Parts: sequence; structure tokens; C-alpha cells
Amino acid sequence: MSALADPQDRRSPEQRVGHLVGQLRNHALWDSLLIFAPPLLVSIDLWVNLYRAVWIAPLTFVLLSIGSVGAGLLAVVVRYRPLIPSLGSAARLVDERTGAQDRFLTLTTIETTLWPVSFVARLRSEAAAFLARVDFRREFPYHIKRSFYGSLLISLIAAVLFHLSMALIGSNLLPTPPYEKVRELAEKMAERPPLSALAYGLRTLAMKLEQPNVSEQEKQALIRDSVEQIEKQRETETQKENRQLLGEASSALQRLEQGPGQQKGSEQGRGGVQSNLSQGEEGKEKPSQASGGGDSKDPRSAQQSNDMHQGNTARNNLKEQGKEKNQQSQGDGKSNQPDPSKSGENTGTKQTGKTQGGSQKKLGRSRSEEIPQSTPPAERFYKPGEQGKDGVKGARYITVQLPEDVAADAKGEGTPSTPSKDPKGYPKAPVSNVPLPAHVPDAPSEKQQLPLEYRGIIR
Amino acid sequence: MEPERFQEVFKRLQAEVRKVIVGHDEVIRQVLIAFFAGGHVLLEGVPGLGKTLLVKSLSQALGISFKRIQFTPDLMPSDIVGTEVLTEADGHREFQFKKGPIFAHVVLADEINRATPKTQSAVLEAMEEKQVTVFGESHRLASPFIVLATQNPIELEGTYPLPEAQLDRFFFKLMVAPPSPEELREILKRTTGTESDDTGKVLPNDGGKLINQMQQVLRQVLIAPPIEDYVVRIVHGTQPNLNNGNGSISPTKQYLRFGSSPRGAQAVILGAKGNALADGRIHVSYEDVARVVYPALRHRIILNFQAEAENVSTDQILAEVMKQVPRS
Repeated sequence: MSALADPQDRRSPEQRVGHLVGQLRNHALWDSLLIFAPPLLVSIDLWVNLYRAVWIAPLTFVLLSIGSVGAGLLAVVVRYRPLIPSLGSAARLVDERTGAQDRFLTLTTIETTLWPVSFVARLRSEAAAFLARVDFRREFPYHIKRSFYGSLLISLIAAVLFHLSMALIGSNLLPTPPYEKVRELAEKMAERPPLSALAYGLRTLAMKLEQPNVSEQEKQALIRDSVEQIEKQRETETQKENRQLLGEASSALQRLEQGPGQQKGSEQGRGGVQSNLSQGEEGKEKPSQASGGGDSKDPRSAQQSNDMHQGNTARNNLKEQGKEKNQQSQGDGKSNQPDPSKSGENTGTKQTGKTQGGSQKKLGRSRSEEIPQSTPPAERFYKPGEQGKDGVKGARYITVQLPEDVAADAKGEGTPSTPSKDPKGYPKAPVSNVPLPAHVPDAPSEKQQLPLEYRGIIR
Repeated sequence: MEPERFQEVFKRLQAEVRKVIVGHDEVIRQVLIAFFAGGHVLLEGVPGLGKTLLVKSLSQALGISFKRIQFTPDLMPSDIVGTEVLTEADGHREFQFKKGPIFAHVVLADEINRATPKTQSAVLEAMEEKQVTVFGESHRLASPFIVLATQNPIELEGTYPLPEAQLDRFFFKLMVAPPSPEELREILKRTTGTESDDTGKVLPNDGGKLINQMQQVLRQVLIAPPIEDYVVRIVHGTQPNLNNGNGSISPTKQYLRFGSSPRGAQAVILGAKGNALADGRIHVSYEDVARVVYPALRHRIILNFQAEAENVSTDQILAEVMKQVPRS
């Protein structure tokens, strides 16, 4: 009976049961809160991420967050209210735990004035004796319900799915805004003291790019200025890492300068050959460095560099290519590409079937492609045994080349068979390897140009 | 009167009856509860199970007057309630009321279903009103007054089954089951040997007053409103045709013609109180209610033709009702 010495035990059984009701009410409140807390946190995380991804406006973010919290609180209240235990239900719980045979239920629910006082007093004393056996905190501890774990699991799954879908959508459908890329570069540069001035300039550029009221021409001019500054800085820069960063910035700005349409065309042009890019050769190849992208480890920069170099190469070898059978003009830029017919009219070479590079624009990215109308593409391959460009007869393999490769090959800058050493990082895998005479193991290989009509099929 | 005194008397009465009656502990207990609750009991069982002996033993233990009426088809109401007879004293002739056997504290109505409805109704009226009226003059019955009626579930030919309205007057209907082998062995030992054990008198000479006090204390037993609600839900659950939106419990709707009357609820609560006191408690628990639901309600719910055809008993219906009615 030492428990009766406790001040808490001196209270009447009715008061003790009332105290238990409060305790159980707290349990119910915690249960309700715990069930709805995970989905609430996940929803807020969702809004934060959408806000950070600039999918929703700040005001929308605030409203959605407040709405989520409000809905969560409402759900807690709706769930909590029916869980609030009554005095009778708490008394029944005590009866069950103590084996009091409904003494607490009777004591807490009867109107004591209607019954004999002696009976009520006796019942109270009997109930008090039962209370001495029980500790409410021990008998009714709080346990986290399974519903919480279920809610947590579902919320976590939802959060993971959301982040995965965000990443997927972000990478595929919603590329980073250009000014964000510029801003990132500025941040990177700001960490390097020699480039802090350029970082400041890039931040300003990013702000300008972000502003819708700035005209396109002005933006282009600002980008050109920034590119020039970066190139100047790059020439004087001695640290490899700084040069690499500057090259990356230069490439990014040049892409911006070309505009979104060209950029998209360039992306498409890279297509499935991106995996063949040589990325580990930075600083080794002079042509790449000259174009500003050779130092970059970024595949896009490298590709940009290669594209630029390729354009130059093609421009320099137009005449030579024009002599070749099936020769066509080349170019990656599609959306901003001038009309081939107009280009042909300007240069006066359309009727000759030769390539004219006059319409090519900056950095060799714009090249016209003219498809000969005279012969079907299949007939433009050399016939078996026919003497090809290199005068090889009975070749063991014929390597079919894209027009770009033909141009590069003619300049002597690499061969498709040696992709790892190609400074341009362009795809070097032969498009076709047709074994010809199997009985001559040492037969040389021959290269033929792929008709332009097949380019789309291969890419 | 203190509840402890009630329990003491109750236990002594049980013990005295058990000296004569082998087994049937629950029947003895329920009969005593009904007695202290002021109700009458209908005992149903095949002949030879000790129904009459039980009642005789109980009356002996209580030490109060006991009369037995053997109901037969030619039994007349006046044979039970009494009649006016012409008497002559000192040259004066006058009608004098001669009390019938109903004017006893404990009346055994043996095979009550063999009497005609007219005679049955005379007894049942006395049970309810606790008085009889003969030639316009009312005569109060003894107090305490309890009728313990027996009926035989077999040999129904030439019997007059009690009408439902009259069955409702009985507080409990108790089923007297055949004895188990051990009980039968004990019965044989007691009845076929030389030794005999008579029931002793438990109550003092003014036993009637004590019984009235015990009946009073029984009504003071505490009962929680949720338990009262539980009883209400059970009795309500026996109604086959409810139009209050709650809907009937499926077996009730399927097998019952009529549900329990309010007397059923009264019987359940008073029986539960008596059960609590007999256990030494001054409050009713859910278990007390569950224990008295069957004897209090089994004769108050009326089966329909389908139930009779499918041999469904009222106890099965009540078990289903108890299962479906929540305690809180």
C-alpha cells in the first residue's frame, strides 16, 4: 500500500480516471499528428522543390505551403475528435486492467445523488483498493501505432518518386535556364581570385539574361563581350584548372549566343555519337584549344569545340570535297540554317552539285546540305570491284563515311578507324563494314562517302 | 440491511437446498434471485428431475408457508383462490371467505399447463396483482409471495400452453436439465439408502420481514447508465420489426414473431442486481447482465413458424443477439 502514500493516489478514483482520460487524449493527439506529419512534410518538400525549380511563383509557394499546413491541421482535428476517449471508456479500460468488474465504470457514470450514500462510498473505497494495484503510466504507455509507420513509408515512397520524376523531367523536358548556367559559372569563378572580375561580369550578364525587358540584340552583344573577355583571360591564364573553367564558360556562352534553336539543333546533331567523344585528351590537341573547348571535360563543351573545328575544316576543304563523287555540303545547324536553295542561288553552285560553304556562319556550325537529285543514293556507292577514290580494288572492307568524316580525312586530321586519337572527338565508328573478298585476308580497306539521305537513318 | 447480510443469507439458503437437491446449482441460484427480486419462476423440465422437491426444499429453508397445487383440466379457479362458504355460528348464517392455496408465501403450481385457461388466468392474475377478488371483495395475498410453476415439455396432449401474455408474468423461465452421471449417482445414494438429509430452516420465525428487507436492498444495487443502455439495446434487439432506422438484427427478423416486452428489461436488470448481490457486490457488471439474459428473456420472445420448422430455440436467438449487441 505504499502507492497510496503517493499524493496522486490520494485522489478519488473518479479523479484518477479523469486524469487517465487526459493522458489518453494526449495519446490520441500524438497518433493523429504522427499520421499526418510525414505527408505534410513531404508536401512542403514538394512545394519547396517546385519553387526552387522555378515551376511555381513565390506567392503560389507560400499559398500552397500554408494550404498544406492548414489541410494537415484539419485532418489531424478530424481524426483526433473521434479518438478522444470518454470518461466511461477510460473507466472501462481501468476495469479491464484491474479486474474491477465495472466498478470504475459504475463509479464514474452514476449520478451519485440518486443512490444510497453508503453504497456509493463503499464502491469508491473498493475502487480505490483496485487503484493501488495499477500505475496508469505503466499500464497505458504511449506506443507509436502502425498507422504512423504506414504513413511514413508511403510518404517516403512518394517523396522518392517525386524527386526522381523531378530529376527526370528536369533533365529531359526542362533544361536549366541559360542564365542559371551562367550564374553557376559565375559562382565557380568567384571562388578563384584571378577570375573574380569575370565572375562579376557573368553575374551581371545572368541578371540581364533573366530580365525579359532586355532585347535579344542587347543580350547577344553582352554575351559576345563576355566571350571576348573570357577568351582574353584564357590566353593569359596559366593555371590549367582556370583555363578549363574559362573554356567551359566560353563554350556555354557561345551556345547561348547561337540561340535556343541552334542549341537544340546542335544537341540533336550530337545524338547517339556523344559516347564516342574523346574526353580525356584535353590540352593535347591544338585545334581543340584554339577553338576554346579543348580543355573542357564537359562533353557538351568538347562537342561544341569539335563542331566548331569541324566547321572550319569543312570550310577549308570545300573545293577538294567538291571533286569527290557524292560530295555534299555539310552542317549541323538546322533550325537557323539558311534555306539551301537560297544558299545555292547566292553562291551559284547549286546546279553544279558541288558544295558551297558561303552560307556558313560563325565557328563553322552552319553548313548547307544539298542532296543530289540526279542519282538515287544507292547508286552513289562504288560498285564491287570498281576503283574508288584511293584506287583500291578488291578491298577487304569498305568504310562508309559521313561527309564530315570525308572532309576531315581529306585534311589529314584523323581517320574513322582511330577514334581515340581523333582530336575532334567526332564519332569514328564505321557506319558500315561490309566484308568483301574473304579469300584475301590482307586486302586493304576502302572508304566511301555515305549518301546524305542515310544520315538520318544512322543517327 | 447490509449487502453482506444478504449474501450470507443467500449462501445459506443455497446450501440448505443443495442438501436435498443434487446438482441444478444454477437453477437454485436463479430461483433465489427471482424470489428476492419479487418475481415468479416457471420451471420447465421432464418429470422426475426434482422440480417439486426443489420448491419444497426452498420453502422449508425459508421457513415460510408453502402450498402445492396440482393443476388438472378439471381444476377450477375457486379451487385456487378460495371461495365464499355458508357458515353457521350462534344461529347466524353467513358467507365466509375460505382462502385457497394461493394464500401462501410460496405456491407450487405443478404442471400449470394442464389446467384450463380460465384457471390459469386466475393464478396469473393473482401473480401480477398480488391480490384476488372473490364476489367483489379483494383479498391481499401474503408477502412475500412467489409462484413457482412447473410445466412438462412432453406429453402436450390435453394441455393448455400458457398464452404469451401470461408467460410474460414470469420473472424467469428456468430449464431443468437432466442430471449428469455424477449427480445421478449422488441422487441414488441419497434416495435409496437409509440416510436422509432434510432441509434445515435458515430464516428466523419472522422470515417474511427479513425477506422483504432483502428485496429492498436488492433494488438499491448500483447500476451504471452504460450497463442500463446495454440492457436496453439487448431487449430492443429482440424486436423483429423495427422502424426506427436502426434495423433489426438478422436472426431476430428471420425467426421471431414478437420481441421482449419492457418487463423483460426489468427482469434483466433486477436479476442482474440479485446476481451482483449474491456475488457480494453492490454494483451490476456486464457479466451479471449476461448471466440473467437467458432466463429473463427466453419466454418473452415468440418464435415464428420458420423457427419452429427449423427447430431454432429462443436461446439460440438470444445468443446471436448478445453477440451482435456491443457492450459500449
